[in-house]
Amino acid sequence: MDTLQILLMGFISVVIVNNLVFTKFLGICPYLGVSGRIDMAFGMGCAVTFVVTLSGTLTWLIDHLILMQFGLEVTRYVCFILVIAGAVQLVEMYIRKFFPALYDSFGIFLPLITTNCAILGLCLFVNLWGIDNLLEAVVLSVGAGIGFTLAICIMAGIRENLNLADVPVCLKGAPITLITAGILTLAFMGFAGMIR
Amino acid sequence: MLKNVKYFAEQSWLLIAASFVFGLLLAVTNTAWGPMIEQNEINKFNNLASLLLTDASFETALKDVEVDSGKGKKIKTSIKKGVSRDSDCVGWAFVCEGSGFADKIKLVLTVDAAFEKLAGFGVLASNETPGFGDKIKGDYYRNQFVGAPAAQLVLSKTGDDKIIDNEIVAITGATVSSEAVVKTVNNYIKQIKTCMQTEGLLNNAE
Amino acid sequence: MPSNDSANVSFARTFAAGIWNENPVLRLLLGMCPTLAVTAAVKPALTMGLSVIFVLFCSNIVVSLMRNMLKPHLRILMFTLTISTFVTIADLFLKAFAPVMSETLGPYVPLIIVNCIIICRAEACASKNTLAVSIVDALGMGAGFTLTLCVLAGIRELLATGKVFEIQVMPGAFVPWAAMGMPVGAFITLGLLLGAVNLITRKNP
Repeated sequence: MDTLQILLMGFISVVIVNNLVFTKFLGICPYLGVSGRIDMAFGMGCAVTFVVTLSGTLTWLIDHLILMQFGLEVTRYVCFILVIAGAVQLVEMYIRKFFPALYDSFGIFLPLITTNCAILGLCLFVNLWGIDNLLEAVVLSVGAGIGFTLAICIMAGIRENLNLADVPVCLKGAPITLITAGILTLAFMGFAGMIR
Repeated sequence: MLKNVKYFAEQSWLLIAASFVFGLLLAVTNTAWGPMIEQNEINKFNNLASLLLTDASFETALKDVEVDSGKGKKIKTSIKKGVSRDSDCVGWAFVCEGSGFADKIKLVLTVDAAFEKLAGFGVLASNETPGFGDKIKGDYYRNQFVGAPAAQLVLSKTGDDKIIDNEIVAITGATVSSEAVVKTVNNYIKQIKTCMQTEGLLNNAE
Repeated sequence: MPSNDSANVSFARTFAAGIWNENPVLRLLLGMCPTLAVTAAVKPALTMGLSVIFVLFCSNIVVSLMRNMLKPHLRILMFTLTISTFVTIADLFLKAFAPVMSETLGPYVPLIIVNCIIICRAEACASKNTLAVSIVDALGMGAGFTLTLCVLAGIRELLATGKVFEIQVMPGAFVPWAAMGMPVGAFITLGLLLGAVNLITRKNP
């Protein structure tokens, strides 16, 4: 029961309270780039969720079974980024083979997941928070992906309506998106302290 | 077969060579700076702890203990013995961890030699809201712990912060952070005191 | 072979491009994570900027030297390997010589690895140009990044605490806007800054 509670709390915490996009500024690039249409945003979110789950789990395993065993912590960042790059390649090949339509609509953004800070960020945070249990690492990774999807979908929904609004010319595009994101952050701050 | 090997070597020799070079580079930097990084961490702990227990040095780690965080997790911490210049034991110091408002809070907690009074705490790491929760680093809040009994502390919202007893007055606007510190301190004091008493370490020190 | 003068002019132009015309943050919208995350005060922003310059400089040199030996499909792997090595070195350096700063920046130092600016310059510039051009490009881009970070951090620190570079600037009666130090302040300040840059460039094209 206790374990279940810890897992559930950790999950909610990483999805809502410590949402990587709103509180840690991770994954801003795709957040600004792909949040124009809600269906693409959702697709991107799913791809990120998949990659982050895979790489979060793998990096935890590598960190605990290899790096910490042999005192090779200094190569941690190199290993993490290589695992992520590998995972992205895997997802890219999978999607190209089985969902060609989706692959075409992703275009450049799929390889760009490698440089999505949210993924490396999560791997680093799992290490920083001192998670010492595989199950928890997996749950946090899934949660981070879902949190990212949530953030990017909310943003896409707002931006679809924003297209109809009369925005000052110089604020069109990225600036107004950032300001909107700021207000969203304010809203998400209401969740702070919900889980301790 | 041989052709494959040749193709593979042709394609990846640069990658493999670079990996070796970079690995060597990392190894060299790590051996050069590794000891400094460790020393920095020890210094940070010592600086905070010796502010609280004046002029004490914390060379010897007395014992590593595992403390239950209250959420079913075990956290390792090591109790360090504070030694004055005349090599008397003046107190104990250890790192505490608890969850605050936004993130983990890490404290250095010091108690006197007999483990009866707190000598105060210092904040090692926290990520509390600026202007509110981060006032736990301020003197108003921290001074209430200096000399407080090393027993269960109680948080109250109104009261006199000048009276040093087991009642801690919360920071306005940061009740959660104040409570988090009190909870963490209580938790660690209780478990470490029990641990030290059962091991008979307290009597040896006096 | 261009004469020395024109070579110098083109170097100056490459350098200046990084600061204004192709400013990585304000124009190319690259490297947003650190821009937003470490700009609560000028000091961490400056440290971050200098670390990025160091990594960009080293990785551009290495990539430029290797550019003729690179196999196209192993290119990105090579870039990431190079970048992550230098980021680890920068991280160790900060931990050893500036432990307080390293703690403030926390995971955002290793996150330089996925800072799009560096991989973008490796791909777009260093893997195609000579050593000298790559070095100037790295310095220009790095300077543009650092400058933007410092401006943003200056505004935020001034409004959030009334200080700049930890020196009191605002009169005592100034009430700090705590929100500027929080994520909200970062997003909105950067949004308005981008708007201001758009406004300026539209007037003098």
